[in-house]
Amino acid sequence: MSKTASAPHRFNKSGLSLEKAIKFFFASNAGLTIVILVLIIVFLLKEGLGFFPGYRRELEIYRIAGLEFVDLSRQNLTTHEQLASVLNRAYYAEINGKCARELKRSREAAALFNAFSDQTTATRDLILNNLTAGIDPDSEMLATLRKNHAANVQKALAKLPPTPHLTLTERTALIDSLRSRDVTAKDDPPLVATLTEQYAAAQQVQAKPLAGLRATIDAFEATGSDLSTLVSEMTTAVTATKESLQNADILEKDRKTLLAAAARAKDPAERARLMADAQASLAEQADIDGPMQSLMLRKPTCIEAHNALRQTSSEILTQLPTALSQPEAERLLRAARKAAPVFLTTLGQAPGQISQWRHDTRVPLSAAIRSFLTGKDWVTGGEWQDFYGILPLLVGSLMISMVALCLAIPAGVGAAIYINQFASGHEQSLVKPVIEFIQAIPSVVLGFIGILVFGSVLRDLSQLDSLAWVPGFPIEERLNIFTAGCLLALMSIPTIFSLAEDALNNVPSAYSEASDALGASRIQTSFRVVIPAAFSGILAAVLLGLGRVIGETMVVLLVAGNRIKIPDFSSGIGAFLQPSHTLTGIIAQELGEVPLGSVHYRALFVVGILLFTIVLGINATAHKFVSRTQH
Amino acid sequence: MSVSPQPPAIQVRDMHFHYGPTCALKALTLDVAERQVTAFIGPSGCGKSTLLRCFNRMNDEIPGARVTQGSIHIGGIDIQDRSVDVVKLRREVGMVFQKSNPFPRSIFDNVAFGLQLHRMASRSILVQAVEEALVSAALWDEVKDRLHESALGLSGGQQQRLCIARSLAVKPRIILMDEPCSALDPIATAKVEDLIRTLRQQYTIIIVTHSMQQAARVSDHTAFFYLGELIEFSGTLKLFSNPAHKLTEDYLRGTFG
Ligand SMILES: Nc1ncnc2c1ncn2[C@@H]1O[C@H](COP(=O)(O)OP(=O)(O)OP(=O)(O)O)[C@@H](O)[C@H]1O
Ligand SMILES: [Mg+2]
Repeated sequence: MSKTASAPHRFNKSGLSLEKAIKFFFASNAGLTIVILVLIIVFLLKEGLGFFPGYRRELEIYRIAGLEFVDLSRQNLTTHEQLASVLNRAYYAEINGKCARELKRSREAAALFNAFSDQTTATRDLILNNLTAGIDPDSEMLATLRKNHAANVQKALAKLPPTPHLTLTERTALIDSLRSRDVTAKDDPPLVATLTEQYAAAQQVQAKPLAGLRATIDAFEATGSDLSTLVSEMTTAVTATKESLQNADILEKDRKTLLAAAARAKDPAERARLMADAQASLAEQADIDGPMQSLMLRKPTCIEAHNALRQTSSEILTQLPTALSQPEAERLLRAARKAAPVFLTTLGQAPGQISQWRHDTRVPLSAAIRSFLTGKDWVTGGEWQDFYGILPLLVGSLMISMVALCLAIPAGVGAAIYINQFASGHEQSLVKPVIEFIQAIPSVVLGFIGILVFGSVLRDLSQLDSLAWVPGFPIEERLNIFTAGCLLALMSIPTIFSLAEDALNNVPSAYSEASDALGASRIQTSFRVVIPAAFSGILAAVLLGLGRVIGETMVVLLVAGNRIKIPDFSSGIGAFLQPSHTLTGIIAQELGEVPLGSVHYRALFVVGILLFTIVLGINATAHKFVSRTQH
Repeated sequence: MSVSPQPPAIQVRDMHFHYGPTCALKALTLDVAERQVTAFIGPSGCGKSTLLRCFNRMNDEIPGARVTQGSIHIGGIDIQDRSVDVVKLRREVGMVFQKSNPFPRSIFDNVAFGLQLHRMASRSILVQAVEEALVSAALWDEVKDRLHESALGLSGGQQQRLCIARSLAVKPRIILMDEPCSALDPIATAKVEDLIRTLRQQYTIIIVTHSMQQAARVSDHTAFFYLGELIEFSGTLKLFSNPAHKLTEDYLRGTFG
């Protein structure tokens, strides 16, 4: 008891310093967070901003080595090949459509035989190997193997695929021939062979009336050969120039590093050695003028080839038939007819472009920035030329987010309104945890559920004839923008739901009381008083949901289909059923494989900066709305 | 059509009220006179607000709260009956709350809110009705130039009168006021009290108050409640000058408990 007098004093003092320590702890935590954030931004900028000069140099090499010049012709050649391929597909679709019965019969018989072979091949091979090894055919071992094989054959025969286009007699005959099939037999069973022959014969018959089309297509394919030879010759030349330019760049970089090291070196001998090394690595000026001159000499030939191609192509393409009988063939033919005039116009523009092209036009830094921001191609790791155009990724990200928001806003906000305004306490305690539980699902898990369940179901659905009227159906790709959007919607619903519910909850009850007392019904109070009062909070919820959607990586990487291409909007809303890549996905996919410090590596950082800016902007806007609700 | 004294606006008969298991009002029987001001007084927690909220069935929104016995008739109709439309009831029985609660919208929209709910008026009539309500609430002169500004920009006293105007706009017959002046300064209080005296000619008013002076100033009748029971109910003059009950006397004298 005697100590009590001094105890409060001691306690007091240590309490004060404890308070200080606690304050310091929290302050340093807050400080650390800010420092880390600043470091991240600095790091992003440092790694990212080096991209533009690097990319500019790549584009410059692209020009001065002449790749850009060759591309003027190459692109037209590619279009030519694509057009030819569409025509070929139309031709075969027409023939196969007409021999559909023979094709199906031959395929079914072959499928049945294949199923049988797959099942019996293990035991059969065992017997054959032993026989070739010279084992006595009558030995006990082979007898056992034969017995096993026979059992295997029985098993295989028990589960053969259906053959709806074969008659019952044909099927029985085929199965019988399989049952009695000798292990050493190599030929197809007679029926399979016959049906293949029949199919080939039918093809020949059907090809006869199409001989005109065949000739047209052949002629069209042949017209490209001149330009093709020319392009491949030029390609060899310019890639060599490009390589020597790149090598010179590397040597120059080495030299600079050595010189810098020499400047830093203290020991004179060491310095001299480094200087000598640097001297040795002084690159020979890559010879670009010579190759460029000979390239420019080809200009007239090139223009001529284009003109000739255009001339003959336009003649040949007028000979295309007006219609084909098979729907698939007709569709392809129509596509070709649509593409043909576009092809001819670009061919017409080519001579002008070729004659005007100059290798010595400067490539400014702004060209690199423009190419990044408005480029339609993201091509990396190619042998020809890399392009870093953000548009396909940005469009993919935006389209996926659009789908996700279109689904998540009604669902999330609707659920929040229902739960907050109309649901009974029992429903609230049931629904709220369930919605919030979705957040607990790891996005990888959600991703593979998306691939296996959602994607497949959607594709199977789209193949139903009764749904053929839906634009974009039937879907070719299981993984597409819509699937990814649906899954992201699922992921963002909890965010939107919780925040919107909070916003509704924060509306003072005095408002709804006043409204009730004026004789408003439940719905009137909700829609005229509570929801308008919570509006900016709900908007903030939606924006934060959007931030979540744009920044999400795993699901889109797994489910969006990862095709780097701006979707084809000519199919209208069907564009949403095409695969696509995203800003987040590309970073996740490529960052692991790129060489550190390369232009490609830096390009990914710039994509990261862009992403960061977008999400930051969205969150900042959301916070403005939130602070507005709190008056 | 009766020539005899007007029938009471509200008749409460042997009414019991429970919040879940707890009894908040016991065996209440009272008549509220038409076009008069009736004051409810009593210590905190005695059930004044609860009774007030029975009259427009605002207690419906509270889970577990219900009248367990007896009846309340307004205009001759049992308002506890299932067939009663709460929306129509609340249009007849307006309410002003202790804390002024205008909506975060313009002054005009606040007053027009009730009318728009019931689609009671075309645009031109609406403008006129809003003006009338604001004039009745003695607020028109102060706000006529800023009708389309936010109601939250008004002073506390103005906001409370706006809330009164808002309930007047739907033309109720009865107005319930739950401590309408408790958050106001004396000048604003005086204005609201003036307003109550004017409104008395057209409306039946019930006011809950903790201020004896206020009850004496504005009311014709006063009811004193204690622990959920009605202890004394008579003319204001009589109750204040000559209370019949010992509890009432103690409460009025302030020597309570
Ligand atoms: N929502 C509710 N749920 C449960 N009990 C309640 C509820 N509201 C009020 N009560 C109880 O009912 C009793 C009466 O409350 P009421 O609000 O009517 O009192 P009051 O006379 O208005 O008091 P005050 O003068 O403080 O406003 C109190 O005991 C209170 O605790
Ligand atoms: Mg009260």
